[in-house]
Amino acid sequence: MIKRKLKTESGAPNTDAAQDPAARKRTDILKSRAEELAVELAGQEDTGNVIEVLEFVLASEHYGIETNLIGEVYPMREYTPVPGTPDFVMGLINIRGRIVSVNDIRRFFDLPVKGLSDLNRVIVVQTARMELGILADRIVGVRTVQTDTLQTSLPTLTGIRAEYLRGIAPDGLVVLDVEKMVMDTRLIVNDEVE
Amino acid sequence: MINNEAEFLKELLAMFKIEAEEHLKGISSNLLELEKIQDAGEQTPVIETIYREAHSLKGAARAVNLNQVETLCQSLESVFSAMKRHVLAPTPEQYDQIHAAVDRVGQLIEKPDLEIADVLQQLGRLEALSKEPPQAPAEPRTAEPPKSAAPEPDSSGPEPPPQPEAPAASAAQEPAHQANAAWNAEKDRSLVSDTIRISTSKLDSLLLQAEELLASKLTALQFTKDERDLVTWIDAWRKEWEKREPELKAFRRDIEKFEKNADGRAEAWFAIHDFINYNYGQVKVFESRIQAMSKASDQNARGLGGMVDTLLQDVKQVLTLPFSTLLKILPKIVRDLSRDQGKDVELIVKGSTIEIDRRILEEMKDPFIHILRNCVDHGIEKPDDRRKANKPAGGYISIIISQSSGNKVDILVSDDGRGIDADRVRASAVRHGVMSEEEVRRLSDAEARMLIFQSEVSTSPIITDISGRGLGLAVVREKVEKLGGSIALDTEIGKGTTFRIQLPVTLATFRGILVEVSEQTFVIPTVNVDRVIRIRPGDIRTAENRETVLLDGKVVSLVHLSDVLGLPRRSRRGEESDMLQAITLSAGDKRMAFVVQGILNEQEVLVKSLGRQLVRVRNIAGATILGSNKVVPILNVIDLMKSAVRSSAIPTKMTTTEGTEVGKKNILVAEDSITSRTLLKNILESAGYQVKTAVDGVDALTALRTETFDLVVSDIEMPRMNGFDLVARIRGDKATADLPVILVTALESREDRERGIDVGANAYIVKRSFDQSNLLEVISKLI
Repeated sequence: MIKRKLKTESGAPNTDAAQDPAARKRTDILKSRAEELAVELAGQEDTGNVIEVLEFVLASEHYGIETNLIGEVYPMREYTPVPGTPDFVMGLINIRGRIVSVNDIRRFFDLPVKGLSDLNRVIVVQTARMELGILADRIVGVRTVQTDTLQTSLPTLTGIRAEYLRGIAPDGLVVLDVEKMVMDTRLIVNDEVE
Repeated sequence: MINNEAEFLKELLAMFKIEAEEHLKGISSNLLELEKIQDAGEQTPVIETIYREAHSLKGAARAVNLNQVETLCQSLESVFSAMKRHVLAPTPEQYDQIHAAVDRVGQLIEKPDLEIADVLQQLGRLEALSKEPPQAPAEPRTAEPPKSAAPEPDSSGPEPPPQPEAPAASAAQEPAHQANAAWNAEKDRSLVSDTIRISTSKLDSLLLQAEELLASKLTALQFTKDERDLVTWIDAWRKEWEKREPELKAFRRDIEKFEKNADGRAEAWFAIHDFINYNYGQVKVFESRIQAMSKASDQNARGLGGMVDTLLQDVKQVLTLPFSTLLKILPKIVRDLSRDQGKDVELIVKGSTIEIDRRILEEMKDPFIHILRNCVDHGIEKPDDRRKANKPAGGYISIIISQSSGNKVDILVSDDGRGIDADRVRASAVRHGVMSEEEVRRLSDAEARMLIFQSEVSTSPIITDISGRGLGLAVVREKVEKLGGSIALDTEIGKGTTFRIQLPVTLATFRGILVEVSEQTFVIPTVNVDRVIRIRPGDIRTAENRETVLLDGKVVSLVHLSDVLGLPRRSRRGEESDMLQAITLSAGDKRMAFVVQGILNEQEVLVKSLGRQLVRVRNIAGATILGSNKVVPILNVIDLMKSAVRSSAIPTKMTTTEGTEVGKKNILVAEDSITSRTLLKNILESAGYQVKTAVDGVDALTALRTETFDLVVSDIEMPRMNGFDLVARIRGDKATADLPVILVTALESREDRERGIDVGANAYIVKRSFDQSNLLEVISKLI
């Protein structure tokens, strides 16, 4: 029963559209709309220099990290300091049974640690070879940044090593080159007792 | 012991069956292929494979004492050898005979006393054919391609091919054929064994998951403990109620008495009394529910614990591998080493089928190589020296593995070299400053020889690139002990040396003792803990600027664990503060006592890595997650001892701590952000204040009730009770009305500042402009 019904329904409009002028016009409109949409999408892909970043606040500065490097954002409830680690390593947290080290990037960048901050969130950065947490006061949200608008150096920017800087957006968002940062061997603690 | 032996043989036999099945499959399938190949040159590699399979099977059969199988394989091997030399090219009928013989091997494995005389005779005939002058069609085209790598058939087995028993053979021939069919059917059932191949990565992930269950077990235990605490808490409430109840009843009676002249107010009192009774009823319900829940969760925890333990044990059993996987790399190493040294050394291995945890095998690879290097380098003499000592020019090293008990494996690595000269070890120890000449002289020969397990001691007069640096054996010992095993040494001058290693079959679950140091919790591996001691400060002696205590008549050096870890010293508050709690640890033959703030308990822990960023942290071996979900670092005892030697070189300030503790000002920090809280705590502590923390206003008020403080530092935005309310409550209480309070805040508005001053805060610091000197300055003005 149903099969037959389906057959007639799927068959009918096609033949109707071919003959009925109103239906043909409708199809044409739909087709042109679809083409328009398709063109717009293709055009966006062509520019290709838009990146998606997670914007967060750390000591009243706004930073951004590319979302494709972020595993997750985790609330910082409790952490365990590890004696004998450099001071940018705040300690260890437990993310569902996995142990992840968390870092205060201000200290790693040799930024003056000025102002008390809340550091309530951990952004877990994951690359093929590294996994670590970066502390943030507050997460603003995900936004897109046009890479060609990024300024790669700014004399007023204090402290941040240019090497970890992807660039600064017109509104002052500091986009970090996290991939480069996590490759830095100075970040890795590998300390033997002699 | 006999049981064990029988058990072991049974296991061995089971393993052999699996192996045999593979070899037989290999032989059969290759025989089939061989029959199809016409070209003699192409035949060669196939025959080669068949020959090798048969040879391996023969060896394996010998190891499990299946003589008949061995004999039959020997015969087959001879036939294959003839084929290999191209002096025998079997006809299809002859191929059938060979197949039958191969099948018979399979049957033999299931039923070792099966008659084999008939097949042996057939094979004997086949082989005899090959000894006649070569027949024409077999090998005219290709010249014989000799395979140099292939072992000569005759050298492989010392036993001559057995003589078939002629009389039995012809009679047995026909029934044997019938038996064949029956056996084939049975073979399908028994030899297609219940074994499958699984990749190790899958098994590893299985083990990992089983180990993770340990966390669930610990959490369940933690819950039962928490619930039991709740039950005792309610018990305390009930006792209190029972004490007060008569008073309440008397009070009601009194009110009832005066009801007439109480102009209706009694009603209100009755209502309150009814409400109190209602509350009592509710709490009673709560009590019985909690009790039931506590019992249920106790059962659940025990059930879960049992299951997790069994599962873990089973999975570990699955992950065992025979020693052969490790040992097969050793002969080449020995050959290469001895050739480099111009020595002639033979390696003999026994018991390589014994199984052990794969992780232990992996860990033991380097130690094995170190020991063998040691044997070749120091043990075995040069051929000339050996001849002078009336020994055969070639030396040998043997590795004998045996299962000594259920969960222990003994490994003996022996050489027939010169032995270890205790005097040379003594001299080396003195030369490297490990011990003074006098100390060394007091050691017995056996004790002195044990020094070779210490780093920096070596008997080698020259340093070669492979040993003599005096690190190898120290590492061996460290590894073995880390795996929960032990190593000992037997030696006889001129005769040889034997290293005795005992290892567990599976890695035991890691146990650790939880200690408190500077208000932080750490885990110390139980294997390293000797004992827990209490020390009176007066019993501490200072020798060469190092603190020591006398333990069992021996002087043991004493260090503060907090100093070694670079944490501030903190002594236990309360009446016991004059006694120090310490834990004596040992690693290798070193022993040392560490003062800790407190010892909490011992429990199973699951060792986890510190993540990818912290590859290696000094003094820390890893971390674990407690039942409460808290991450706790696990200490590395070997590192601690090394660090202790360095940190104790710095003059200790033992006497000063006790003194300053008393005069320290007490500050309470209320802050909901963990980082800010810790930061504030650290700043204040390093400035010499005693700090206690609270997570919000309510928590702070509770702390203020139980302890006295000299100053409060509080955040404004906090859950439950904010900073303003906290200040108001502090000012409202007579006991704390004059207590200085500093508000620290992210709020920067003028209204907030004014409100802060209104409620009675003494100072107001905005987080943005916060820096520590600022805070400390304000504090020093206030107290």
